Amino acid sequence: MDSVFFYCNTGKAASSKGALQKMKIALQPNISVTGWPTEAGSKALAGFHALENAAVVEKIAGEGAEITGYTRMSEFGFGLKDSMAGAALKKNAADAELVLDLAGEARLSAARAGVCGFKPSYGLVSRFGLAGLIPSMEAYGILSAQIKNIRDILQAIAGPDERDSSLPDEKTPELKPAKIDPAKTTLGVIKDILKEMPAKEYESFEGKLNEFKKDGFTITELTFPDFPQFVAVHKIVGSVEASSCAGRYDSVRYGKREPGAKNWNEMYLTSRGAAFGTLLKSYLIQGAYFQFESYSAYENACRLRAHLVSQMKKLTGQADFLILPVVNKAAAQNPATLAETYAQFIYTAFANVTGQPALYLPDKKGEGLQLTAARLADARLLDMGEHLIGGGEK
Amino acid sequence: MEFEAVIGLEIHIELNCATKLFCDCPNNPGDEPNVNTCPVCLWFPGASPRLSRAALEKAALLCLGLNAEIQPVSAFDQKVYYYPDLPKGYQLSQAHLPLSRGGWIDITDEDGRAKRLRVHHIHMEEDVAKLVHEMEGRKPVSLVDFNRAGAPLVEIVTQPDFRSPHHAMEFLKALRSQVRNVGSSECSMENGTMRVDANISIRPKGTSQMNTKVEVKNMNSVRHVGDAIAYEISRQSAAVQAGEKIVLHTRLWDPEKKVTTPMRAKFEGPCVPDPCVPVIKLSGAEIEALRARLPEMPAVRAERFVKQYGLSAEEASYLSTDAEVAVYFENLIKEGVAARTAMHWLTTQLIPAVKDKRQELTQTSVTPARFAALLKMLACDEINANAAREVLTHLFDSEESPEVIVRAKGFKQVSDRGEIDSLIDKVLGEQPAAIDDFKNGQGKALGFLIGQVMQASGGKANPKIIREVLAKKLGSA
Repeated sequence: MDSVFFYCNTGKAASSKGALQKMKIALQPNISVTGWPTEAGSKALAGFHALENAAVVEKIAGEGAEITGYTRMSEFGFGLKDSMAGAALKKNAADAELVLDLAGEARLSAARAGVCGFKPSYGLVSRFGLAGLIPSMEAYGILSAQIKNIRDILQAIAGPDERDSSLPDEKTPELKPAKIDPAKTTLGVIKDILKEMPAKEYESFEGKLNEFKKDGFTITELTFPDFPQFVAVHKIVGSVEASSCAGRYDSVRYGKREPGAKNWNEMYLTSRGAAFGTLLKSYLIQGAYFQFESYSAYENACRLRAHLVSQMKKLTGQADFLILPVVNKAAAQNPATLAETYAQFIYTAFANVTGQPALYLPDKKGEGLQLTAARLADARLLDMGEHLIGGGEK
Repeated sequence: MEFEAVIGLEIHIELNCATKLFCDCPNNPGDEPNVNTCPVCLWFPGASPRLSRAALEKAALLCLGLNAEIQPVSAFDQKVYYYPDLPKGYQLSQAHLPLSRGGWIDITDEDGRAKRLRVHHIHMEEDVAKLVHEMEGRKPVSLVDFNRAGAPLVEIVTQPDFRSPHHAMEFLKALRSQVRNVGSSECSMENGTMRVDANISIRPKGTSQMNTKVEVKNMNSVRHVGDAIAYEISRQSAAVQAGEKIVLHTRLWDPEKKVTTPMRAKFEGPCVPDPCVPVIKLSGAEIEALRARLPEMPAVRAERFVKQYGLSAEEASYLSTDAEVAVYFENLIKEGVAARTAMHWLTTQLIPAVKDKRQELTQTSVTPARFAALLKMLACDEINANAAREVLTHLFDSEESPEVIVRAKGFKQVSDRGEIDSLIDKVLGEQPAAIDDFKNGQGKALGFLIGQVMQASGGKANPKIIREVLAKKLGSA
């Protein structure tokens, strides 16, 4: 145990053959590995050991990856508090990390660690064996200094899995690398986001756009006045799903039960009360509020979500890639409340709401960019990443 | 004031699928506690539900059998509440987009008129675990058996079309017969594979208002449903007449005391669309393919029996209710037995005997072929009815054909006039009093004398010939 790892793999090395041969991959402890303490950063799962491997674990192990261990994570992956995502890469303790991306955690961790962070399209990777929190929005983020690693891992883990029936019945897209021709590529920027950016950040963002222009890309300005609604929708729908999802942690079948309760209602209150941390508890209570007290607000959020998805689809049809900022520098560094947590995700939550892929690319000055494209355009997004940072070497 | 009851039923039916609704665990709730469980039905972290195709098909067949319209799109919702029998804090059910809408069952009301009772919708849902409350020494403990958690259920929600206990009981009988007929469930209220909740309210007769309803649970037979509804109607009528207000709540039927007692306020939790189970889309072609698998429904079959075999409506309905009975009946006819004989002997002799021996019509050693052979011997006067009944008891215990049994046991009917003639003379000689009675106009005496002759023949004489000869002799005597 150290400050980065929650659990280190002491078992025998994986098979040496496969596309991920010799690649060291660190996981978060919400990704089931048989027999490992899959506690998802929560007391609710203290002492819980996974019964079977997650689909992604089967796949990366099958391709010869070496799973180094579980990194420390925030409770059920929500927010960045207590998360050590990206730290194993910085310390050279892993070549890549799989990190839950609920609202942008993987991309923001990548920004913090100065590496690439990729959130694949929803439905591309089986979530079987993931102790998740927001089923309709969550995805495995892949962190690595090199885009090639990210692509190799994505190729290994993408594809159908009959154990995850939330995967759409669609053909897995081609994920092989291809060249980007700047002359034939349009990059879109969303005016409504730029308008709200602090002057200094806008300047730096504009500087990057000028570089793209020099490179031969066409830049087009797009409008999306409803963009801020992504966070609002995420807050409501995400909290409702989280509240349902965490309902299973009731101390009846597994997890820790607080002693002394006089009846089972008390057992629920004391055990769940002791199990969850303050931030997650407030998120779950918010979700329960929408379920029990304000269902119509939840329904409105679902309708708004559908509207935002179709708006975004129009935008991704008008440009090959959209370029967005990723870090909200105005947000609190160590968020403790729901509001502070969501303030971190104002530029990232959209991709979880729509299910489209998004890629964080670092730069030497520590001011990276976020690229996104239409759902299932994952390979093109990685092509663009490789074009811009040349294979991903720092 | 005269009141009228407004009644609707909510009926849960456990589908007889091999596996549970969202995992491959055996659907055998009665096994040793907690053996039929897995990460999905225990909702371990990382578990993912997978809808069973077999359950969807059985549910859809059930809907089609009740004349319901399968919806092209249906989906699962989470019915949120916390209880130890619910492993994930919500039950997967179809609250917003049910599998089917509409449907009906036709029954015969108290006055013998046909009445159509409509179904509002039918949805699928998963069953919850079973709680067992015990004492561990002096400490009360609650044990949870998850064998039933995730078992496939459908819930049939009717329109409030019912006005009497009779309506509810007839509906349930017809429902049971139709669901058994499509093969989706045994629908046993005694074994809990069919559970009925009744929503009852009353209003002044002739008005159309909908008043606050009371839900009654815990009836474990069709008769109890009728009794509970009847009790609740009179209880509510008395309460209203005493100026009390009816409040929305749930009551339990107490079958021993024959009363309903208040249980709890009715709880309605929120229903949130489930993001994990995919939306169910059924194309018109898929629905038609399912419809093609439907067997003939009892009401349709009864109508056909009337037309095809000249049975009365009542006889036809009796033979059509259970698919096994109907199939057996038609097999007898295929073997060449006359419809009336088949109907009569099947309903008065074979079915009671099979029930008595705790066998099933489909499994009994008295196959349609063997029973038909027996009835054909009866039809051509080789044996008489007495002998046929005797032979039937032997058919259960022996592998022999009825012909062999008749020969071996000497059941062959005596139709030889000379032989019968001498038996009659012997009896008449012994019974002068009966002869006098007959001559004094007591018709019963003839029956008595026939019985005496039959006895003298060891039960083998042809009763038609006895009657004929006896009548002649008495008439001329």
